[in-house]
Amino acid sequence: MNKPARFEAEEIIDRADASLLEIIDHVLNKGVMLQGEVILGVAGVDLIYLRLNAMLCAADRLLPRREGK
Amino acid sequence: MIGLYAIARGAPKEALGARGERVRIVARRGLEAVCGDPPPPLSADALRAHEATVRRIAEAAEACLPARFGSCAADEDALTSALAAREAELGEALALVRGREQMTLRVHGAPAEVTSAAGPGTRYLEARRRSRALPELDPLRRALSALIRAERVEQHTEPGLLASVYHLIDRGASQAYREVIGSTPLDGVRVTVSGPWPAWSFAPELA
Repeated sequence: MNKPARFEAEEIIDRADASLLEIIDHVLNKGVMLQGEVILGVAGVDLIYLRLNAMLCAADRLLPRREGK
Repeated sequence: MIGLYAIARGAPKEALGARGERVRIVARRGLEAVCGDPPPPLSADALRAHEATVRRIAEAAEACLPARFGSCAADEDALTSALAAREAELGEALALVRGREQMTLRVHGAPAEVTSAAGPGTRYLEARRRSRALPELDPLRRALSALIRAERVEQHTEPGLLASVYHLIDRGASQAYREVIGSTPLDGVRVTVSGPWPAWSFAPELA
């Protein structure tokens, strides 16, 4: 059961465009949470947490207008 | 098991949930929990559907605190007792977001160098203070001061992404907000903007 959920999470994050990344960040990282019972039960979410900020960076690098680093 | 979409005031009575179900409202002393089917398994479509549902509720409600994807309670009793435990906090948050919506800024750039002659401890604290306050955004804050009702800053540790900044603005002000962002030059950082969103970042964490 763990494996498919992990696979699903990887699929979501790998295929996400910038607008889906924004949705994921708001929907999974923010908002009212109830006591403990909530997100912990959704397998694969931890993996998304770990990679989300890095992906938000990566998505930005794809934008045409950028200043030198 | 019931799923939670939002805590609201003046929530729409006829809204549809993420899977087309009719939502129902569990009310307790002015707090309305907008509920529906239990959360579905994680998928990109499920995340999009949750976001769209919260957005519909937020647009129709007087005030709306979005619930995180996956939020659920065993039954209505469990839900109302969770609400009761945080009644004051939720009430304050609802008052803050009433009639408002959120804009999200991603702030890109390199962390500012602290070139003080002070010792490493002082430099470390100064760097932390700066990254929390993001003085690089002050020109933007001044230009936006008539629009911003509240601000939350979240620091990041990833190279290139300094912080995410969340602004609460009056509903309908997002176009004006974007125009200010587009016309205000910033030194050393660059921002990308998204929104308007329901007030995701202004909901208290109850866990």
